[in-house]
Amino acid sequence: MPLQTPEDGRLLPPYRVLDLSGPEAVFCGKLLADYGADVVRVEPPGGHSSRLRAPFAGDQLGAERSLYFLFYNTNKRSITLDLESEKGVDLFRRLIAQSDVVLESHPVGYMDSIGLGYDSLRAINPAIVMASVTPFGQTGPWKDYKSSDLIALAASGFMQITGEPDGPPMRQGNEQSHYPGAQFAAASILAALYHRDFGGGEGQHIDVSLQEALITYYTDAHPALAWEMLGENVTRVGATSTLVIPLGAYPSADGWISAGIITPREWDTLADWIYEVTGNEEVLNDAYRGGNQDRAPFNDIITALVIDFTTRYTSEYLFHEGQRRNLVFIPVNTVSDLLADPQLEASNFWFGLEHPETGILQYPIGVFDSEEVSPATNPAPMVGQDNDAIYRGELGLSADDLAALESEGVI
Amino acid sequence: MDGNSRKALQGVRVIELGPYVALPLTGRILASLGAEVIKVETNKVLDEMAFIPAWSRGAGQPDFQRIKKRVSIDVRTPSGLEVFRELVKVSDVFMTNFRRNILDRWGIDFPAVRELRPDIILMWQTGLGGIGPYYTYKSYGILVQHMGGVSLMTGVDGEPPSAINTSYSDYHTGVFQLSAIIGALMRRRMTGEPATMESSIFKSGAVTAGPAILDYQVNGRLPERIANRDALAAPHGAYQCQGQDRWCAIAVQNDEQWAGLRRALGNPEWSGQPEFATREGRLANQDRLDQLIGEWTAKLSADDVMARLQAEGVPASIVSQGDDLYASEHLKARDFYRPSPSYVAERGTPAWEWESRDSLAWSAPARLSETPMEFGHYSNVGEDNDYVFREILGMPESEIESLMESGALY
Repeated sequence: MPLQTPEDGRLLPPYRVLDLSGPEAVFCGKLLADYGADVVRVEPPGGHSSRLRAPFAGDQLGAERSLYFLFYNTNKRSITLDLESEKGVDLFRRLIAQSDVVLESHPVGYMDSIGLGYDSLRAINPAIVMASVTPFGQTGPWKDYKSSDLIALAASGFMQITGEPDGPPMRQGNEQSHYPGAQFAAASILAALYHRDFGGGEGQHIDVSLQEALITYYTDAHPALAWEMLGENVTRVGATSTLVIPLGAYPSADGWISAGIITPREWDTLADWIYEVTGNEEVLNDAYRGGNQDRAPFNDIITALVIDFTTRYTSEYLFHEGQRRNLVFIPVNTVSDLLADPQLEASNFWFGLEHPETGILQYPIGVFDSEEVSPATNPAPMVGQDNDAIYRGELGLSADDLAALESEGVI
Repeated sequence: MDGNSRKALQGVRVIELGPYVALPLTGRILASLGAEVIKVETNKVLDEMAFIPAWSRGAGQPDFQRIKKRVSIDVRTPSGLEVFRELVKVSDVFMTNFRRNILDRWGIDFPAVRELRPDIILMWQTGLGGIGPYYTYKSYGILVQHMGGVSLMTGVDGEPPSAINTSYSDYHTGVFQLSAIIGALMRRRMTGEPATMESSIFKSGAVTAGPAILDYQVNGRLPERIANRDALAAPHGAYQCQGQDRWCAIAVQNDEQWAGLRRALGNPEWSGQPEFATREGRLANQDRLDQLIGEWTAKLSADDVMARLQAEGVPASIVSQGDDLYASEHLKARDFYRPSPSYVAERGTPAWEWESRDSLAWSAPARLSETPMEFGHYSNVGEDNDYVFREILGMPESEIESLMESGALY
């Protein structure tokens, strides 16, 4: 395949990615598609199971109404294909010959079992890059273990450091275990393509373990190193810190506000402000002044003083007035706050994508801001919407062939 | 060297200017993919990450700073700036996380850099954003994680936001930057055009707020905080086991896995009750289920619970602690952690006086079969001065010496 240049304003050329991914890697395909790659979701006839995941537009079940599917499949195309049928596998092999990447997250060994393991794909197209994103990777004694978002968060230790110190380990929201692996997979795929196209290389197989990707995502807490050096296990501290006082999320008049006092001068400024508002002279006590470790013995009283202050104001007021005084108060946002945020509004973060079932919705796809490049802006595809374009237009099947395959349940 | 001459990003040279987490992580992975990453820093102001005081200084240093060419240049001095400018001329990528007013003051704002090297790729990492109403705002990554929306999807409704003891949005920023830079390198190879890109920790976290963003727009619904439970699966949670703070997570997603869990428990009589036979029934009776399963796990070690459940095909895992990861047979088989020297940082002393110590670092967060990520070598600040000043820039020995004495290359 001759190398195509990126379309106007896109970061990536239209590399053809065959996306077979489940939740473990769906964000990887989305990222590549948003950047400009030609990502084609290969779905079982009738549609991928993730089309039946809540929430749904208007809470009505429907293959084109899953907001989960719409979110994670922006800018992709869709074909249907039964990879568990002989004819389906044959068609897939033909697609491989003209594709750049296969992205999958099936259990280890499944792709081999249907004749589509990396060695088989490479035999058809040595330039193919295959990325496999799985809970524990392609090798090692845990490789076949059953997993899920919760299990990946547990196995990596991410849960061990999330939550309140006296409560259970806590799952982080919105399936965060599925992001680090997908992110590293996307970067690795691009590195492999760079090597292939500009470094005289061929294709390769990429093995991503969610567990390892997640461990990498908290390197600053470094549990294994902490154990080796101290014989202690890193654990949960809630939203506070034992190193920086005060640091945490505190109630405000209308929600939550997070704050952190890092330098001695920041404490002096905050103490003056608290006194100004509450008239409580206790906050000016000289014992509380100094670096953040100097306040460690007074954590409880300082937290009480801070809460007596923060509950008098809205989060937004504390955020902006704090900055005016060179203090860092950061609002604890929910999704409605994000949609109303003036900074996100000003920095090309939201893009309105129009989908037949939902109309125009704002999607957060402006990962970075650039004058030269911007993301693609197509909504998630309807089931099999590109069957004609790809099977007839590219593979040269006739309308009759297509009808026959459809009646046999292959597409 | 790992004895590996195949490198994905062979021939790409990157300048990294800036401390903390996100930017050094981007540089670390670019370097392990074969780019030559030159980390510019000065002994006068060392990265705060080297001084994390809790249990051993410099968590993250042996992981983040590996493989890079570390060079000491004080860009705030006229001669140091001149050396830096020469380096820009022979580099493909410049990435930094200093604020724009500081870069302006130093004379290495983006127009100035682009003038020196017209096709250079620029990545500017910010906290809240480089343009827009918050562009002057001060921020700390550990707090900015709460802006992205995920904190209010974690934990229990009504309770304080349940933070993680790290800053996940910093890491997202680091990896978003990574793919954006590689993409921009490809694009430049094909079109000849460079790119200037700006990331932010705020945006990187907000991207991962996910379908809840659409749910709010379409259905007017805000996310609920349901702790370790799941809207679609039960039993689903972390169950306390024998030992201090030991837990096993269990996620039963379908009837087959429920049958597996029953077998693992030895088919106790209660597990046959009809209300548990369907997913809907299990979801409706989670409190009782959690209590009954908790009674079973409380008598066993977390490892034992995991092994018994996995043997029956039930998704389960110990909630790993540091010692579990350190001793993990699985991670050993995959050669994930490797020994690495690092240095014990001392405030007020130049890095070359720091004592070396044994340490460990992760090897690679992704395995590429033909161009494996390099593990390489851990350099200290300024350790690669000779290579960079002599071999890359061709500076004469006398000039290097005098600039070191003057503090420009300190």
